[in-house]
Amino acid sequence: MPEVIIDGHKYEFEGEQRLLQFIQDQGKEVPFFCYHPSMTAPANCRQCMVKVGQYVRDRESGEYEADENGEKVVRWFPKLQTSCNLMMSDGMVVHTQETDELVKRAQKDNLELILINHPLDCPICDQAGECPLQIQTYKYGPEGSRFEVKKVHKPKRVQLGPRVVLDAERCINCTRCTRFTEEISKTNQLTITSRGDKNYPTAAPGTVFDDPYSLNTVDLCPVGALTSADFRFRARVWEMNQTPSIDITSGKGCNIDLWTRDNLILRITPRYNGDVNDHWMPDEGREAYKLFNENRISRPQQKLDNEQILSSWNNAIATFSELIEITDKKDILIVASPHASVEENYALSKYANLMGLMQPVFVAHIEKGKGDNFLLTDDLAPNTNGCKLLGFKEISSKSLKTQVSKAQLVIFIQDHFIDRGILSTEDIENKKIVIFSSNHSETTRSADLVIPVTCVAEHAASYVNTDMRIQRSFPAKETKYSNRRLNLEMSEGRLDRHGTHFDNWVTEDNKIDCLPVWTFITEVAAFSGIDLTLEDGRSVMEEIAGSLPAFSGVSYEEMDERNGMNLSAEKEKSKTDS
Amino acid sequence: MSTENWKTYEPVLIPDIKNLHTIEVYEKNGGYNALKSVLTDKKKWPDQKSVINEVKEANIRGRGGAGFNAGLKWSFMPPADGGPRYLACNGDESEPGTFKDRKIFEYNPHAFIEGALIAAYAMEITTIYVYIRGEYRAYIQMMEKAIEDAYRKGFIGKKIFGSPFSVDFYVHSGAGAYICGEETSMLESLEGKRGYPRVKPPFPAQKGLWGRPTTINNIETLAHVTSVINRGAEWFKNVGAATHPGPILYGISGHVNKPGVYELPSGVPVLDLIHDVAGGMRNGKKLKAVIPGGSSTPVLRADQLDGITMDADSLRTVGSMLGTAGMVVMDEDTDMVDVLWRIAHFYHHESCGQCTPCREGTGWLEKILLKIKNGQGEIRDLDLLLDLTTQMEGRTICALADAAAWPVRFTINRFRDEFEARCKKSVHALV
Repeated sequence: MPEVIIDGHKYEFEGEQRLLQFIQDQGKEVPFFCYHPSMTAPANCRQCMVKVGQYVRDRESGEYEADENGEKVVRWFPKLQTSCNLMMSDGMVVHTQETDELVKRAQKDNLELILINHPLDCPICDQAGECPLQIQTYKYGPEGSRFEVKKVHKPKRVQLGPRVVLDAERCINCTRCTRFTEEISKTNQLTITSRGDKNYPTAAPGTVFDDPYSLNTVDLCPVGALTSADFRFRARVWEMNQTPSIDITSGKGCNIDLWTRDNLILRITPRYNGDVNDHWMPDEGREAYKLFNENRISRPQQKLDNEQILSSWNNAIATFSELIEITDKKDILIVASPHASVEENYALSKYANLMGLMQPVFVAHIEKGKGDNFLLTDDLAPNTNGCKLLGFKEISSKSLKTQVSKAQLVIFIQDHFIDRGILSTEDIENKKIVIFSSNHSETTRSADLVIPVTCVAEHAASYVNTDMRIQRSFPAKETKYSNRRLNLEMSEGRLDRHGTHFDNWVTEDNKIDCLPVWTFITEVAAFSGIDLTLEDGRSVMEEIAGSLPAFSGVSYEEMDERNGMNLSAEKEKSKTDS
Repeated sequence: MSTENWKTYEPVLIPDIKNLHTIEVYEKNGGYNALKSVLTDKKKWPDQKSVINEVKEANIRGRGGAGFNAGLKWSFMPPADGGPRYLACNGDESEPGTFKDRKIFEYNPHAFIEGALIAAYAMEITTIYVYIRGEYRAYIQMMEKAIEDAYRKGFIGKKIFGSPFSVDFYVHSGAGAYICGEETSMLESLEGKRGYPRVKPPFPAQKGLWGRPTTINNIETLAHVTSVINRGAEWFKNVGAATHPGPILYGISGHVNKPGVYELPSGVPVLDLIHDVAGGMRNGKKLKAVIPGGSSTPVLRADQLDGITMDADSLRTVGSMLGTAGMVVMDEDTDMVDVLWRIAHFYHHESCGQCTPCREGTGWLEKILLKIKNGQGEIRDLDLLLDLTTQMEGRTICALADAAAWPVRFTINRFRDEFEARCKKSVHALV
């Protein structure tokens, strides 16, 4: 197998590989700005310089040549090389900044040059704390600057598009953003304008940077030149907790991180998953953070004399059980939802089973033309396949209308059919409507009983995407009944580890009075004297995996280990195994 | 050849013939015979390879400044695979002090066209582009006219001279960027993109224009090809300096009595060029400094010039380069601080901004030099300038950073007393 020698250590490698990527894969570090594993390497920041040579082979024998001490002879490249675009070859010898003074000096020199026209406004810059320029300057940069003349001034606070703001002075011209629109989103909306130290990225005159993936350029930007119009000045990154989760606004199930502070989700960024979304996500998914904070239903609500009033959990449980008891079983319609997780849907269906009710049906949420060939899908719900695998019958919107008209009691979960225009308020007149929902809507306002349930940011639950991949979320924010310090699934932030008591989330504000669906169902079952205990997402999934062949082998441990599981691949595997 | 022989040299590229730029006069003087011979005389030129070998043998060292053997460069083209192949002729000459290709466009465009056609035949090229700097408006028009005439006469187009060889020839106008004279950014510009130099490898011979094999040659280099085919590699090799043979178009400018473009053998003594060819120093002033080959080549002091001839080897002994042989002559009244600031200003203005060291470094150099020029400099600024040149040199994709760094380093090193004197006179406001 071909070998490279990096800082005196021998590594074997296979195939065509870029040196910088390989060095990173070995857990070592070389500073860089413009390189990105999913895009071409333009080698324009010139930060990842290393010293590269090649063992000299004898032309005839093919053996390595050795000097009088028996050491292999190395022929060095006359200049330092950028490692990002250098393909590795057998017998390559590399010295990084760790072993070579010249490399160290070159990297320091380069950072000094990058910084001369950079405004160094870290204290007011949103990127501070997660800024490659800041981090690498501390690690590899010069101690001060010798630049005593005037900096170049460029446009600031330029609204490039509805979601992205440019500060051209901070830009270091790495061209990651322009390459993103060229190579990944393929809208070609951004380009570099002007020449030399006056250049900066911009959209063509008269055009707007409204790429449906525009906010990825904000993540890509290695400095604070491109910032999110929405998140700008909202929070410092070191005050936030970062929790892995799943995008619930489309069928793709992009892997995301939820960023929390004071029990509010403040932003959503993509999390790398090579099998689903790579490093990217659509802008639409990022705006979902508002759903987790705003317009939330807190405490159950019940209709009294045609007026919705706040109720108590005891009341809600009693009312729910009573409605089930007094209604004829064949007149009860349970509508499961592709907007709810596998575990939530399962809880409903299990309850229906034990009570001898009809199995739930569901209506897919598909809008033709919404999808593209990238990360947006026609399917606007995160769990359509999950409903199918649970064995629920998929019905059309039309048939939903008919079935609702025949029923007396209808139970909805996380699906807002009136808002979607599938049902009208007349359709549900004289019917009892129960809805499990996280957010207020027209639909919840017309319900007789509203059960506030946890949203994806508050519980651990799984979703099956359009490619049959099951992936799960982690709780990112507290409800009234959960505690961050006791819940092992919740992530720790920097302040949790290093802050004082007063730095931390101490506020009781922003905690929603809601329960996970399975907890509510457990309570209801207990009220009716049925033996049903659904403890949490993890145990519910264990139960599903044990009882439904479609989910066999699925567990939270396995999903965490493998960053999600492809169920159709699992099925193939179990087939060949048996 | 001894250094005196240049006096008897008869110009080949720009001879004293009236209206040579018209195709009729050019043909009357043996024009397009070289092309005809290459395409039809199967005895003399059995195949493409024989043409390449002849050019390689002649050792025409690229006249764009890098000095690479043109025939050798041609031989790097991969074998033809039926797809398009390109020849890109570099007429962007934008280096301050360089104006030799202009002379060819103006006085003998067909020598270049013929050379390009021979090159295209030798490398089985299907399309030729000539990239001319946008400021050469008049010469672009002349070139277009010349190409039109050659098309009309059947020297360009389908089945030239009845041979199977067909080729197209286009003029492409630049838009005023020095960087587009760098060969790979010229390709980007030809493709209609922003003129950013490309990372090499892949080299243009493998992946050039639109990812296809491409050779890039300077205008003068291609014009010499015509002479090599007409007169043979032996003749070419025997003109001028042995390691850098052939005639060169010297562009002499600055404080001389007769500035202009002179066609002479390589290896003419620098002082002869100034005193005999260009008519001596203007107003009888004393010579102070010479930039031998365009603004990026290191400047030479007058006392360094004794016995130095205009070829790469001789110039290397005093730490300079031949470059494009665009010589800038400066007399005793020249302020070297001003000169250097002006050169630094040029490179700052022309840096494309792709690589960090060049984008930031060129600006910094200029700003410090401006500070010194304005009487605000300090001695330590000189050391900072020298430090910056090492921070820039060899650390970028193309050679513009080197071109910007060298003049700073060598001008300061060779005229340090002048810079120090200026710095010592600085007046600093009390803060």
